[in-house]
Amino acid sequence: MDTLIKTNKLCKTFSNGGQMQHVLKNIDLEIYEGDFTIIMGASGAGKSTLLYALSGMDKPTLGDIYFAGTEITKKNTDELASFRKENCGFVFQQVYLVDSMSVLDNVMAAGLLINKNRKEVAARAKEILKSVDIEENMWDKFPTQISGGEAQRVGIARALINDPRLVFADEPTGALNSKTGKDVLDTLTNFNNKGQSIVMVTHDITSARRGNRILYVKDGEIAGECILGKYVHGDEDRHRKLNDFLVSMGW
Amino acid sequence: MEKIKLLSRSNFRKNKGTCVGLFLLMMLASMMIGLVLLLFMDAYPTARKEAEKLDAGDGYIWIMNDIKGIDDEYVEELIGKETKDYYKYTCLGYDSISINFGDGTVSPQVLINNKSAFNKAFDRTEVIVEDENVTGKYIYLPYQFYTSGGYEIGDIYELELTGTKYSFTVKGFTDTTYFGCNNDGVYEFVLDDDSYDEIYAKDGEASDSVVIAFKLKEGEKLNSFRIKKLNDILKTNPMAIAVIYKLNDAINGRSFMSLVLATSFLTLTIIIVLVITVMMTNSISNFIKENMQSIGALKAIGYTSSAIRSSLYIMFAFMALLASICGAGLSYALMPIMAKIVVGQMGIPYTVCFNLICSLIPAVVVVIYVLLVSFATTGKVKKIEPIVALREGIENHSFKKNHVRLDRSAFSLNVSLALKNLFNYKKQNIITFFVTGLLVFTCVMGLLMYENFSRNPKVGILTFEICGGTVGFDSSVKEEAMEYLENLDGVSNIRRMISLTLNYNEEDSIRGYIFDDVSKMNNKEVCYKGRLPEFDNEVAVSGKFASDHGLTVGDEVRFDYGNESFTYLITGLIQTCNNSGREGVMNESAAEHLIDFTDAPAYYWFDCDGRDAAAEILDNCSEEYGDHVISSMNFYDTLEGNLTTFRSISALMMILLSIISGIVIMIILYLLIKAFVYNKRKDYGILKALGFTSNALIMQTALSFMPSIILAAIVFSFVSYYIANPYMAMVMRSFGLMKGNFHIPVQGVVIIGVSLVLVAYLFSILQSLRIKKIESYKMLIGE
Repeated sequence: MDTLIKTNKLCKTFSNGGQMQHVLKNIDLEIYEGDFTIIMGASGAGKSTLLYALSGMDKPTLGDIYFAGTEITKKNTDELASFRKENCGFVFQQVYLVDSMSVLDNVMAAGLLINKNRKEVAARAKEILKSVDIEENMWDKFPTQISGGEAQRVGIARALINDPRLVFADEPTGALNSKTGKDVLDTLTNFNNKGQSIVMVTHDITSARRGNRILYVKDGEIAGECILGKYVHGDEDRHRKLNDFLVSMGW
Repeated sequence: MEKIKLLSRSNFRKNKGTCVGLFLLMMLASMMIGLVLLLFMDAYPTARKEAEKLDAGDGYIWIMNDIKGIDDEYVEELIGKETKDYYKYTCLGYDSISINFGDGTVSPQVLINNKSAFNKAFDRTEVIVEDENVTGKYIYLPYQFYTSGGYEIGDIYELELTGTKYSFTVKGFTDTTYFGCNNDGVYEFVLDDDSYDEIYAKDGEASDSVVIAFKLKEGEKLNSFRIKKLNDILKTNPMAIAVIYKLNDAINGRSFMSLVLATSFLTLTIIIVLVITVMMTNSISNFIKENMQSIGALKAIGYTSSAIRSSLYIMFAFMALLASICGAGLSYALMPIMAKIVVGQMGIPYTVCFNLICSLIPAVVVVIYVLLVSFATTGKVKKIEPIVALREGIENHSFKKNHVRLDRSAFSLNVSLALKNLFNYKKQNIITFFVTGLLVFTCVMGLLMYENFSRNPKVGILTFEICGGTVGFDSSVKEEAMEYLENLDGVSNIRRMISLTLNYNEEDSIRGYIFDDVSKMNNKEVCYKGRLPEFDNEVAVSGKFASDHGLTVGDEVRFDYGNESFTYLITGLIQTCNNSGREGVMNESAAEHLIDFTDAPAYYWFDCDGRDAAAEILDNCSEEYGDHVISSMNFYDTLEGNLTTFRSISALMMILLSIISGIVIMIILYLLIKAFVYNKRKDYGILKALGFTSNALIMQTALSFMPSIILAAIVFSFVSYYIANPYMAMVMRSFGLMKGNFHIPVQGVVIIGVSLVLVAYLFSILQSLRIKKIESYKMLIGE
């Protein structure tokens, strides 16, 4: 498999009242194309920091990040914004749809960043909304008028509209109940099965089971890695393997 | 109390930017109110206070040209019954002569006295400043010659009287109630006794005049006294040029400029305070919204709504108090600039003094207003449940309608998103629309004043007739002089004009301009309704006079002059700002029903090509007719002299209006955009995460305010263009302007509109730069 992201001695340090807090310490890792990579870890371990650093949304203190062979750590803010819109999709725990835009507009706003052809973008947005089970009668609604699960699926549609090389998902089911959470995970899994690369941060085992590769972050370092293979519903061996890995990591 | 103070301090620390913006608005409001009050309550009454100090009496009678038989007995018989005191003296009197003033000349009546002027029983003339070392041929000038005439002690003052030029050293400047202001139309010069005697010996026969200052008995009405006595004088001395000047007219003439300044400032202040009101209300409301989480947290830990509200009251009241003190201080700092103009016009020494009321009122008004707004807007704090507040639960915007659908929009993505912002933040845009609109209006008013009083002075409003020059001849040579003038090179359109005071119903009077042929007048614009008179039974009167007496075009009006009376048909209404808007015009044939002009002097008004041509023509007349020339005026020079003050005031107004408008629009955009960016910070974080660049978001934000600003600039440019004249007519009605026909240059209005839009756009971009600081990562993880 091709390497999509490669990091070299990645460090992130925060200064808190003059006290230095080393959140990421010399991380060397690779993310592969087509993988559903899960980043797990305890609260405060640095997993979200790692995710946002990998996506170019936050700058590391030290180290390099290469995305498809191109170093992104040297890019300025605008170059990073351009990099993100061309290569990345984001799914957040709090969804973060723009409240003043309708469901369709939220998806199209991302699409129009890449493709200026309004008709094509509208058609693509509608197609992708349908694929995440957001039907036509919801397209003109505003985020405050739909449920959390629906909003998260709209968020996934927005993340995928530009066919990004990699989707970053930060606890996408964290704010959802188990039923809607499962729907969201099914949606992500479906897209991964079609070849979409995904990196997802979670501390939920059920969510983590969807990944084919698990990275465990502990005290700012990659403490361990577990390869599970593609998700198959009801595969008990895979569940056991993940459980054993997490136990070995002190979960 | 301590915890409330703590909260107030914390509120202030967290919202420094908003507080500074609000502080500046409050300070501006306070400064403007302070300035208006100082102008109205401190500068405006100066002329009256000075008149009281000089014991000015109720008025004076001045008789020139024909004073035969006007002795002590005559005066006693004339006014003895109605007055409790009077004081008569003789001096040299000149009607409308050209004298040097400022950059040009003015043509007032001139009263020349010797040092006995300083010994009057009342209506005193006092020396303000003098140099005892100046000896020889010297002159004391009215103080206005120092304040706006450009003269200093020791300067040489050239004076031309009946064709003879005199040169004096300026020994000092005087303070006098009636004879010291250009607007009152008469100056008093005090000469050394030898010079006075020299001029008296030469001009005494023609220019000897009598001045009688008087104090009326209780119950006597000055207006009817004035009209009756003028008529009585004309009955015995029909060729006399007699004027009775009232104290109030003198004071009003002197206070004219402070009143114009105060009125202009009052208008501007009303607009600015209106704008500030809207902005303060909006900002305080935003302030509460921005602090919703803190309010929720405080409520959750047990603070009551009243404690939270009190902390906000204390903070705003403290800010308002501090701002109003600074504003009042600023008004005192700016007042000397105003005072310079006011003093220039009044010709009375005036220094800005601390005035407790003028200082207290702005503070009280601003603090009370801010407290009221705070009280009204913080009402919602009471209704907020802690949990709702913690979730920043108050939502001002309703996104029920998708005004700009991206799948159907014809605009680019950035413009479409800007339009979405525009519709989603209607309230802010409506505020921007009206604020920009009002500022466009104030700037257009400034432009009107600058254009019509400074750049291309609207001479027809300031003076009754426009010409190149005027020259007056005594009756012995008037026919011959007319022929002489007609044959002079460069002279055209000669018209004979004399002005008389015509009495109406023993209660009012007008200054009547009598032309040999009214149709020769250049300033036909003076007639704003109906037409100028043509026949011997017709008159056009000023609109103010007509409206005061319920008269209009087509009505008849009876005028008295001496023993004669005649009823005229009003053919038109005229307007000027002279003589308090009480003027009239008729043909000589019409005036002959009231007066026989056979022995009257003749004043010829002529057109010519510029200042030098006028000067040459006047010099030729002087050389040819010497002492027979009783007055002369180079209109170009006179205009320059008269416009000096108007120019400075209109330029000052233009500068002030532009600066204040610019400052206000910047503060307002600062507050609006700051609140806007704050409210949308999460959206910006999301959009940045999606790949929108900061520049695109900055552009969107700045653009979202532009439609309302551009629309306001267009709409209010049109509106201002059309309502500026009616508005000016309304404001200046008391000065005689009934229908504004000031020129408003379209290019100027376009420049104002475009400049405001550009300033607003650039400042919006500048303010929106704060979006650059928003980091999507921090925003999304809630830092």
